[in-house]
Amino acid sequence: MRLHVLAALVMVLGSAPAALAQGGGSAARPDLSGYWELRFDSFNVPAAALTAPAQAAAEARRKKDLEAIRGCLNIGMPALMNDRATLDIRQSAGVIGMVAKSPSSTRYVYTDGRKHPDAEELEGTTNGHSVGRWDGGTLVVDTVGFNERGITAIPGGGYRTARSRLTEQYRLAADGQQLVVTFTWTDATVFRRPHAYSFRYYKVPSISEPRVTNCIANDAARARFLTEAPAPAPAR
Amino acid sequence: MVSMRSIAWFLAAALAVPVAVHAQDKDHGRDLSGMWIVQDPGSGSWSEWFDNVPKPQLRPEIITDNEAIAASERAGNVVNRMPRTASCPVGNLPMMMASSPPLNIVASRDEILIGAESNRGRFIYTDGRPHPDVKAPSYVPSGFGHSVGRWEGDTLVVDTIGFAPRVCDSRRPVMLTPGGGRAKDTTHLVERYRLASPDELSVTFTWEDPTVLLAPHTYSYTYKRLAEGIPIENNEEAPTGPQPKYITDQVEK
Repeated sequence: MRLHVLAALVMVLGSAPAALAQGGGSAARPDLSGYWELRFDSFNVPAAALTAPAQAAAEARRKKDLEAIRGCLNIGMPALMNDRATLDIRQSAGVIGMVAKSPSSTRYVYTDGRKHPDAEELEGTTNGHSVGRWDGGTLVVDTVGFNERGITAIPGGGYRTARSRLTEQYRLAADGQQLVVTFTWTDATVFRRPHAYSFRYYKVPSISEPRVTNCIANDAARARFLTEAPAPAPAR
Repeated sequence: MVSMRSIAWFLAAALAVPVAVHAQDKDHGRDLSGMWIVQDPGSGSWSEWFDNVPKPQLRPEIITDNEAIAASERAGNVVNRMPRTASCPVGNLPMMMASSPPLNIVASRDEILIGAESNRGRFIYTDGRPHPDVKAPSYVPSGFGHSVGRWEGDTLVVDTIGFAPRVCDSRRPVMLTPGGGRAKDTTHLVERYRLASPDELSVTFTWEDPTVLLAPHTYSYTYKRLAEGIPIENNEEAPTGPQPKYITDQVEK
């Protein structure tokens, strides 16, 4: 009798380590899924330390970004994360999706252990290629493979280039009602040292429909508003 | 000396683990996340592939309308000349689900995203919410409609209504469904998603619309998983140099 019980115990315990490893990893992960919005007190953005070429390029970059807005092009990173409309983040076991309302591609962060593709296989995109890993309760996301399309401006100064690397740390706060994200950009052509800033998103219960901004590139009034210099107020 | 009672406690605790794993395995069968590419039999022709479904029973007026569209295309009306305006609906569900760019699915508990070509896509709410009143003035219809989903065992059943009545296309101002049907404000779509295997996703579509069809129209697609596929982006460069004529024409007015 005792032998039978012990034999059963050995068999059952033999399967336990694998089961715990399978279940334990995901169970400990916070679920970042939800609708998140930025508010007036969401930003901690210091000024970036820019290289001289980046300072010189600032005005040309501003105009290029404006053209992207006018043309309703995918805004890309980091503008996707700055979107003032509600951001939708959805988390599954191996991939996290992020959707902004402004014209943009869905951003995918792979958390299934994959690496970035080799550089020669990676066609640059406005969002880049993102892989994430959990460090305790913090999701650490590494992104490379950007192009220079869309809105390239980075909060605090500077801009995204094909050489940029972005590291993000996502952490839930306030019992899951806030999401704190620290962004760190490195790009020797733009920044004299890594440029870090933080956003704090607030969770909201719902998202307004429609989910997509219907951007009209051939709206003449819109094009004028975006491209014509505002007329200064007349002198009194 | 280990007592029988201690062994029993150990056994009970250990047995609880496989039960939890079994539940997780069940959930795993429900995780549709991944990059999926539709299995086109290889016709090489979009319209042949799109219409390569069991024939729908179309209403006579739809058949007549299809014949008129085909005649117009034969006469050279093959370029969409209708400008996009703020009232133009976004999205085209039947085309997106049939197209060769892979679907990117992210399935969270309450909502499933389906992106295509790393671009805009569908949202399927699985949190139990109902459809909104799609006839209300506040509802903005789109080519994706409004989708809610629920699980029936290992099958995700998705119910979609609220399609746009018309689309901005001078060639055919209606959203076509495979086989010559229509998706519009009177249309109801039911999709059934099931993982036939970890790397194969089956989706069965059933369209209902008494103004288009004499009977519900059902067909299925198979999608294969693209392991570690890289999302691509339908990514146009910002225009440089002179502005496109359609812009300058309107700005000059």
